[in-house]
Amino acid sequence: MKSDKIIEEVLSEIEKHEGKMSRRDAMKFLAASPIAASVLASSISTTDAQASSNVTGKIVIVGGGLAGVSTAAKLCNSLSNPNVTIIEPNPNSISYQPGQTLIGGGVWQKSDIEYKIEDHLPKEVKWIKDSVVSFDPENNKVKLSKGEEITYDYLVVATGLMLNYGAIKGLEGEITSSGDNAVVRQKVGKNGVYSIYFADGAVDTYKGIQELIEKAKVHNGPEKLQAYFTDPNTPIKCGGAPKKIMYLTHDRLVKAGVRDKVDLIFCPSGSKMFGVPEYHEAILAQFKARGFKWEYKTNLVAIDTEKKIATFQKNWLEKGEYDEDLKEYTMVPMFKDVERKYDFIHITPPQKASDIVGKSPIGSSKGWVPVVQETLQHVKYKNVFSLGDIAALPMGKTGGSIRKQYGVLADNLIAVMEKKEKLPSAYHGYTVCPLITSIGTVMLAEFDWTSKPTPSFPLDPTQERWIWWLLKVYALKPMTIYGMLAGRA
Amino acid sequence: MKKVILIVSSIFALMALSGCGDSPKSKTVTYKYTPAEVYKETCAHCHGDKGEGKVEKKAPAINKKIVQELEMDLFDIKKGGLGQSTATEHEVMEHNMQKLTDKGYDYDINAMANYIFNAFNINK
Repeated sequence: MKSDKIIEEVLSEIEKHEGKMSRRDAMKFLAASPIAASVLASSISTTDAQASSNVTGKIVIVGGGLAGVSTAAKLCNSLSNPNVTIIEPNPNSISYQPGQTLIGGGVWQKSDIEYKIEDHLPKEVKWIKDSVVSFDPENNKVKLSKGEEITYDYLVVATGLMLNYGAIKGLEGEITSSGDNAVVRQKVGKNGVYSIYFADGAVDTYKGIQELIEKAKVHNGPEKLQAYFTDPNTPIKCGGAPKKIMYLTHDRLVKAGVRDKVDLIFCPSGSKMFGVPEYHEAILAQFKARGFKWEYKTNLVAIDTEKKIATFQKNWLEKGEYDEDLKEYTMVPMFKDVERKYDFIHITPPQKASDIVGKSPIGSSKGWVPVVQETLQHVKYKNVFSLGDIAALPMGKTGGSIRKQYGVLADNLIAVMEKKEKLPSAYHGYTVCPLITSIGTVMLAEFDWTSKPTPSFPLDPTQERWIWWLLKVYALKPMTIYGMLAGRA
Repeated sequence: MKKVILIVSSIFALMALSGCGDSPKSKTVTYKYTPAEVYKETCAHCHGDKGEGKVEKKAPAINKKIVQELEMDLFDIKKGGLGQSTATEHEVMEHNMQKLTDKGYDYDINAMANYIFNAFNINK
């Protein structure tokens, strides 16, 4: 039987049982039994049957997050004599960041997403617990904060990105999701201002939702409480998270019986819900069904956390003069600031490359490391590669993208080591956004640079399904931890 | 009950085996004009015959950008931004591009980026 057929049959079986077995039961059962994880781990290990390469060379990986460690593992699996060094100052650099949404929604605990780098680094890899302060690609070396210089033959840049809360007037700090965050937490994580984009912030967000519920329970009067959800004008990690936390907040309010006391308003910098038209339409329908409000081209620029007033810049185009060359009317960009009083605001911070990378010779005018999009090789330095959040790739800042990138990068890096002319592997922009639409349902939005849905299963990808919730909550983490971090899936 | 659990587990296993989206089905798109024709007939009006840009048209120079930067810009312009709900950096050009597409002046991003780089880049 073809695998597509099997999946179809299995799913119809499940639909039949849906009435008899509640989602909660299924989840509990799955949580109690490691079947899913073990089946998964055994099946992915069997797919790893790659011939080893005997080439040698010193590979230095900067950054020990999901991208860096997965790449290190894949290289160790593929090279018979690996010489791999990873530079990472934070012993807890690996965290399962997709889980931050679930923490914010009160489904997971912080401990569910924390991992130690030493438990996942292949034994052949040398770990330098320090951070890089400068890159010197002309001389093939990097400098560490303690002054030491590390030379390399091949470099992989996997530093991740910076959450730039300080770019919003009224807030301070430029942090990472699992590093020190004291400066940001002075104002974020209390008094109605929350953000799931760092792990501690996600813990605070769930407390914030509880506070909002308590406030709503005693709220009277004609005006509803105002809850805003922002989405900035920079590339961001997990483009779906700004909406996911809104869906989960909605669900918590509904369960507490106070949804009618609160307006939920989505304020993105852009003018659509999703770059893929099919998913855009699906999300719009979901928004309408839940009574969400939204204002496009409304970007958070400042916040007064004392007065609880957020300032958004609204952008629009106005018709200008007729242009003879274009044979169209020109469009003139306009903008103005508007102030909104909030009771609750979820902030998705503007995001950027760290200046150490962005302003170095391997960076670019916008900071992100410029790589050939298909091969992930640096455009200028042929012995440098980059992947993950720091790479200049459209739409690519998710764990699901990294899952498709690290194998491509390892294949191509080994080809460069073998002095091959042509790089064998190509990345086509595949990424996946398991869009949590409630506690219990997910829309599995898979897509690539063609801006078309690229579903892995023969199912309508625009539908919310509880089976994808099980996938998101129970299968993707084991796939990441046992599969990707071991370089096998 | 056990049956259901087995079924759910096997879905996850199949997901792992299937590689979860390994084969995006690419469709061949044919374009009416070559990148050179599109450039000459449309882009050049504002970005200049050699990509030098025109201040009076508020069109920036594009003769110093590398292929990769051009690709990112063209992706932003053609797809309306680089993320789900993130604003495009090329709001006006995105509007203009839609008008040009309606008139048949569409192009492949990679092919156009390479054409602009090879024809006009002054640093290469």
